[in-house]
Amino acid sequence: MELCDLSAFEMVRLLRARKASAGELLESALRRIDTVDGRPGTLDAGEITAADRQHVHSFITLTAERARAQAAAVDRQLAAGEDPGLLAGVPVSIKDIFCVRGTPSTAASRILANFVAPYTAVAVERMEKAGAVVVGKANLDEFTYGSSNESSAFQPSPRNPWDLTRVPGGSSGGSATSVAAGEVALSLGTDTAGSIRQPAAFCGVVGLKPTYGRVPRYGLIAFGSSLDCPGPLARTVTDAALMLQVIAGPDPHDSTAAAVLVDDYLAALERGVKGLRIGLSPDYFQISFPDPLTGEYHAQLVPAEIEAPVRRAAQLLRELGAEIIEDVPMPNTRYGIPAYFVISRVEAASNLHRFDGVKYGHRTAQPVRDLTEMYRKTRGEGFGAQPKLRILMGMYVSAAQYSEQYYRRALQVRTLIRQDFDEAFDPNGKYRLNALLTPTTPTPAFELGAVYGDSVLMQYADQLTVPANHAGVPGISIPAGLDGQGLPLSIQLLGPDFSEASLLRIGRSYEQATAGDAWRTHKPAVLRA
Amino acid sequence: MTEYEVIIGLETHIQLNTTTKVFCSCKADSWIDLPNSNICPVCCGLPGVLPVLNRAVVEKATLLAEAMHAETRPLSYFDRKNYFYPDLPKGFQISQFDMSIAKGGFLDLPMPQGYTRHVGIWKLHIEEDAGKTVNQHGRRLIDFNRCGVPLVEMVTAPDLRTSDEAAQYLIRLRQLLRWLGVSEADMEKGHLRCDANVSIRLKGSTQLNTKTEIKNVNSIDAVKNAIEKEAERQMREVEAGRRIEAWTLEWDEDRGVLRKMRSKETEADYRYFREPDLLPIRLDAQWKQAILQNLPELPLVRRRRFVEQVGLPEYDADILTSERNLSDYFESAVLAYGGDPKKVSNWLMNDVLRKLNESGRDAGQLRLTPAYLADILKLIDAGTINNNTGKALLEKVEASGKTPAQIVAEEGLAKVSDDSAIRSVCQEVLAESAKEVAAYRAGKLTLMGWFVGQVMKKMRGKADAALARGILEELLQ
Amino acid sequence: MSDPITPEVFAHLVHLAALELSAEEGEYVRRQLNNQLKAIRELEAIPLESDLTGSSHGVPYTAQNSPALRPDEWAPYPDVAELLAQVPQLEDRYIIVPDIPHTTLD
Repeated sequence: MELCDLSAFEMVRLLRARKASAGELLESALRRIDTVDGRPGTLDAGEITAADRQHVHSFITLTAERARAQAAAVDRQLAAGEDPGLLAGVPVSIKDIFCVRGTPSTAASRILANFVAPYTAVAVERMEKAGAVVVGKANLDEFTYGSSNESSAFQPSPRNPWDLTRVPGGSSGGSATSVAAGEVALSLGTDTAGSIRQPAAFCGVVGLKPTYGRVPRYGLIAFGSSLDCPGPLARTVTDAALMLQVIAGPDPHDSTAAAVLVDDYLAALERGVKGLRIGLSPDYFQISFPDPLTGEYHAQLVPAEIEAPVRRAAQLLRELGAEIIEDVPMPNTRYGIPAYFVISRVEAASNLHRFDGVKYGHRTAQPVRDLTEMYRKTRGEGFGAQPKLRILMGMYVSAAQYSEQYYRRALQVRTLIRQDFDEAFDPNGKYRLNALLTPTTPTPAFELGAVYGDSVLMQYADQLTVPANHAGVPGISIPAGLDGQGLPLSIQLLGPDFSEASLLRIGRSYEQATAGDAWRTHKPAVLRA
Repeated sequence: MTEYEVIIGLETHIQLNTTTKVFCSCKADSWIDLPNSNICPVCCGLPGVLPVLNRAVVEKATLLAEAMHAETRPLSYFDRKNYFYPDLPKGFQISQFDMSIAKGGFLDLPMPQGYTRHVGIWKLHIEEDAGKTVNQHGRRLIDFNRCGVPLVEMVTAPDLRTSDEAAQYLIRLRQLLRWLGVSEADMEKGHLRCDANVSIRLKGSTQLNTKTEIKNVNSIDAVKNAIEKEAERQMREVEAGRRIEAWTLEWDEDRGVLRKMRSKETEADYRYFREPDLLPIRLDAQWKQAILQNLPELPLVRRRRFVEQVGLPEYDADILTSERNLSDYFESAVLAYGGDPKKVSNWLMNDVLRKLNESGRDAGQLRLTPAYLADILKLIDAGTINNNTGKALLEKVEASGKTPAQIVAEEGLAKVSDDSAIRSVCQEVLAESAKEVAAYRAGKLTLMGWFVGQVMKKMRGKADAALARGILEELLQ
Repeated sequence: MSDPITPEVFAHLVHLAALELSAEEGEYVRRQLNNQLKAIRELEAIPLESDLTGSSHGVPYTAQNSPALRPDEWAPYPDVAELLAQVPQLEDRYIIVPDIPHTTLD
């Protein structure tokens, strides 16, 4: 097994035992990237070539030299007998929605293609202080707007390592692919409607959306300020716990970072599930899709192959001593996407106002008559279709004459969605759940180009993940098998506020119980060659 | 001749004198700084930044709200006001829309004509300032130094009726802001900015007609003049049968004219929504109480007390409550003196105030402390020194910082009341002034003053003048 | 029901948003917006009490879990030059932009 395919936990153990150096870990990662990644995403990339189609394209910017300096520093600390940190020497990728000082921090958009961040996001700073080695900025949907990574202005966009004709999911597509393809052990992504969990599910890795406010957002280029959550993508539950330990906790730069003590996630990991109450909800085994012609909504059951791993997980957890409670109602789940369309767009439109060509980023090179024309041309040139869609919808539903009907109503629906979780998790209530067990996505990874033009259909890929964003509760997606076509399948666990330790613990039990599964021996297609 | 009533409402933006900006740790005051030097990622609206509320802003806003008799809300919320402007880096201003820190309130304006105008307050909220733009041959120069400076916006009800009242509102407000220590309120430096809303109606009518908004009035005189000009213009328009339109006007200070600004085609839709990056302000009873410990007795309340209880005339009470340091000085001096407060007020308003005006300092910066002033008055009362010596002592104490008693002792300023000492000097003076003595005895009694003056001169001002006069009269008989 | 976002409404939104779209992109976006509105209309059918409080955040913030406010202490930013290095047009420390359309009439 290559060094780069080890878990982060194992890498750190080897490092501390002086059996591997940070330099060696990094070179292994860089070799893997060299083999599988192909060219990084760039603007004006031209035609996608046959060679492109054989590679993963996780990155927008590789920071190899910077990484080498970081690895060397870790090795020096070790040699000097100092503690280099919980993530010492671990190669990581950072979704390019985070500002990292001295690196192009592009949000996968033309409008920030020339922006070199003058400061580093808190979550990234914490990882670097813990000894992590940042190998590169991972590709994503433009401004995190999407569920397939296809909207990136930096092409080629990432491809699913399990099947390179398929999307990796989004918006943290590059984060998921870089972890799944063994290019890095950990990635820092963001989850606003499922953008960590859904690509994790599509790429067969672990993706954790922490409680809103658990990880500081300072330095995260904002999409939905009340929804965005930075979080880890990793190959194992233990690795996700390790990374969360490093990035969680309040910070004076973020007024919404809750002043809640950070649990010891690793200590709780092996406690098992005896006595835990885990619920199943019929509302999460149902999905709805709009009819493309009539616009009518059809509710249908999730495909059997999506439901099966969840049912199996329930059985396994029951055998391990958990109590499984069926038929937990979560009646407002189906309103998650409509409410999300409104709330996220209002916040996005406002958050994108600052991209005006005045003080950073792209400014139109065309001659302009006046400031208004400069704004229009700059934003018209700089933003792709997805940001424009979100801005315009945001302007529409927050306009004075509509805000009562749409925005205010959506906030009320959010209260209802939250109430579903409050009732399910109420320790004095009817269900008293520690966690809810659900599928992560309505389908496995779809083909590149199959959904992209249809923005509604694309958004509905998030219908099982977005309720957790509205409610703020934490959620984790865990690999649970492969479907008939060899594509990853997953299960999702959702829990009460700040219950990440409990979700990780359940996930770890599940992981251990399925350690011998045949599918775990299969590798992504891109690694089989 | 139709009689019109002028209806005026004022909107003021008050720059709070906190150390740092409202949402980041840059300085709140950068008046003298180089452009774009007092900035950070947060106030420049860089991608990924977040606002963090300055505690002191809440405290000063609460003091102001209390002084304006407004009701503070235990929970108040920030909202985003979205619009594009180059000096607004985020493309939205963080402000407070419907649930601001305080509601209601009023300010009473005692007018020189003898009545009091009661001005209701419609809005009182916290918001962040934008940067500055300068025009330069078809380009705009942007400076972000001022972005994020904390402001309190206050909007009055349309309760003002004359340009004098509007001026008086600003004067009283400025006084109050300095009194509370929440703003320097210097209009020249933009610490206190004002827009005026003006409409007219027939006297006796109760309806409110279309108003115009006058912006860019940078001094109290400008506010007065602009309002007068606009009221006249509106009356002319109405007399001519034309409608008043809701224009936004700009006051040209140099030419003394109003100019129509680009009219808002539609009322700008700012698409207000709750600021998701900030939590509501929690002003619980405990915190509020702690803040209000710092609420001083307000100027008008103190003014009334000075008149009714201390017995000062209105004119004096006005001056001695115009500025807090002077006012507190007066109170301390009266306390230390223990005698007739009017004596203190006389000395303060004449000699001490003159000194302050000349040097541009405030009463808190004097070395002549209230206790020392009281000492001087007590020395005069005790007869140790006379009035003139007392006035001279003011200077000496201020210059040296020594106590009055010390200086009197060191310079031997004590009044000489020794009869024989004065008597011998009197005899000396009379002996040297035969001509004047003859004239006095012939009936020119006004020469007594001259004789006393001569005695004082010889005794270097230290003689008890009344005693000297008595002795001279005796000798001249 | 005909599309609420007509070409006129669309053009107005584009104007408000200080954007520019090609005719083709514009048509695609307008169509998508109307499709999305159909999804959003689902909200209208939801039965809810009119006085139900809306939530700005899902997680409740209380006096206990809310971070403290910032103390009023000056901390000058150490790398102002790096901020200014990102400005597209900087002269004598001022950020330069074209003028704003301005009509002052008497």
